[in-house]
Amino acid sequence: MRSKKTLLALGFFLILGVMSLVGSEVNASSPQLKITPELKEKFTLKPHHEKLSFKCVDCHEGQGDDPENFKAIDDKGCLSCHKTKQYLADRLKFMDNLHTNPHNSIHDGPKLYCDECHFEHKKSDNMCLSCHSNDVKLWMRPTP
Amino acid sequence: MSQEKMSRRDALKLGFVGAGAAMLSASQAMAAAPTEKDVKFDEEYDVIVIGSGFAGLAAAAKAAERGYKVLILEKMGRVGGNSVINGGAFAVPMNKDQKAFGIEDSKALFIKDALKAGLGINHVEMLELIADRAQEVFDFTVKCGAKYQTGKKPTHFGGHSVARTIVTENMSGSAIIQPMAAFVEKLPGCKLVTRAKMDDFVMSNDGTTVIGVTARINYRFDNKLYSDDIENKSGEKKVYRAKKGVILASGGFAMDKEYRKIQDPRMAPDMDATNHDGATAGALLKAFQIGALPVHISWIQEGPWASPDERGFGVAPLLTQQGLFVKGVCVDIRNGKRFMNEMADRKTRADAQYVILREDPKAYPVAIGTYNTFDEQIYAAIEKGLQGGVMKKFDTLDALAANYKIPAAALKETIAKYNEDAKNGVEDQFKKQTLKDMKGKECIEMKGPFYAIRTVPKPHHTMGGVKINTKAQVISANTNKPIAGLFAAGEVTGGTHGASRLGSCAIADCLVCGFVAGENI
Repeated sequence: MRSKKTLLALGFFLILGVMSLVGSEVNASSPQLKITPELKEKFTLKPHHEKLSFKCVDCHEGQGDDPENFKAIDDKGCLSCHKTKQYLADRLKFMDNLHTNPHNSIHDGPKLYCDECHFEHKKSDNMCLSCHSNDVKLWMRPTP
Repeated sequence: MSQEKMSRRDALKLGFVGAGAAMLSASQAMAAAPTEKDVKFDEEYDVIVIGSGFAGLAAAAKAAERGYKVLILEKMGRVGGNSVINGGAFAVPMNKDQKAFGIEDSKALFIKDALKAGLGINHVEMLELIADRAQEVFDFTVKCGAKYQTGKKPTHFGGHSVARTIVTENMSGSAIIQPMAAFVEKLPGCKLVTRAKMDDFVMSNDGTTVIGVTARINYRFDNKLYSDDIENKSGEKKVYRAKKGVILASGGFAMDKEYRKIQDPRMAPDMDATNHDGATAGALLKAFQIGALPVHISWIQEGPWASPDERGFGVAPLLTQQGLFVKGVCVDIRNGKRFMNEMADRKTRADAQYVILREDPKAYPVAIGTYNTFDEQIYAAIEKGLQGGVMKKFDTLDALAANYKIPAAALKETIAKYNEDAKNGVEDQFKKQTLKDMKGKECIEMKGPFYAIRTVPKPHHTMGGVKINTKAQVISANTNKPIAGLFAAGEVTGGTHGASRLGSCAIADCLVCGFVAGENI
């Protein structure tokens, strides 16, 4: 994951400045992996990640060239950009008043795995719904 | 034993006939617990605890405090199972707040209440253990960092003859679970691993003693599977040695679609329950496999205070148990009449609700009360109930009756009679025990507004499990003696509460027996 931040930072500059240079053929760590339209459709990205022109190996670092064999990147992967669970909890601190902060819930605190709720390549889930089926829609928007 | 080895041996037994196909069925149908010679241990601990709920954490905290290296294996991604999603109500017989508020309680009264609810088939020595040690264990959890609403009049739960229940600071068991998990993890050599599913007990070569477990780490529980225990193949295998023994605290099986249906065929696979998704019978069945003595397995308690207007446990249980049921009424919507003591034990109430629901599955009985019925401890939940629509508020009884299609005149008559009896100090037709101090007062305040919740029983607590003694040792069905190296506590055990457990006694049972297991291992 170490190089991901660098890649992300680089990505920003590229997007801002030299958009045209960012193409699927630019992929130093995995020259063999071509991101085809079929692949994009099979492993869709969330819009906020799509916007950043992520490549498979930006997250699936060191996992080879075959997307079929890629493994989930776990909390460590998510947090290599998203900092810490406490940081994420603090961003939603305004929800603490009503005890509705999903990243700092009464039940779990800032401790849940990211992928209890958030999935990159399929629809995310909201764990709160398993008991608070009526409340979640009042508390928050769909899980990104 | 590794899956590979097990399959190979089974395949040999089958004479290599269709080994590929046989491997799958054999490892499921013919599996025996692996023994020491079959495995290679990856890690070694003094104590291994299966499950991270009240029982598991109390066991782990006590064992860890004694200096043991403890490993807790939790199948789910979140810590605490049902214990972090419950209402945080802890019955502590003869507690300090009872004394402060002049409530007289005794061990004998506690046991009498439990036996009445449990239809007399409770294992009394276990009830004695809980009564004797609940206050001590309560204090231990406080020492570990648990936070309670003390200094208030204790809450009066259904089936208890006196108020003896203390509620956690945040109205959830998480106020006990979170600090206790942190307490254990801070102690040297102790570890809590989530997404780690125990697969098998590892026995000594002579088959007499539990010496460890096989497990899978990075296990992903899948609630889309009909039986996660049987179908889920995720995770990577690990084998752990437990030098002192294993404490089974894996909880009940109220979410096990198949196993609960086998015990009670009325519980259809799609029936909602109050439990978390992971409450399945897998670990319990592994204990049976090595000879643990089953007790009361088919008694599955349903919570009569749940609501069909939300999924799972939700918020209704707080608003009815510590609210509408206490001073309010619950009526059959078809005739506007009461049909049970709203503060009876859970089984009595659920049975009464089912008399109605089996005649008309949509005629959910409605609980009705006014603001005075809510306990101070759960005020914060009232707004939540109203916002989510589980509880509704009406200015008049006519509006309430119209909404639920209850005959209004009959409803008013029911409430008038109920109020009058309580006001005059006359015992009502169902002998409700919470109305004694309502003499001269109005139970349901006729000025309104009136709060209402539709109710339905939901599977909640599986009463049965493995038999343990008062040292939390698991008893063997083969010898009637303890299985060496195996302890158990909490909902995975059975017998203590008989046919039906009193509300708020689960936390008491889990924490006390977990503590005792941690003390004796």
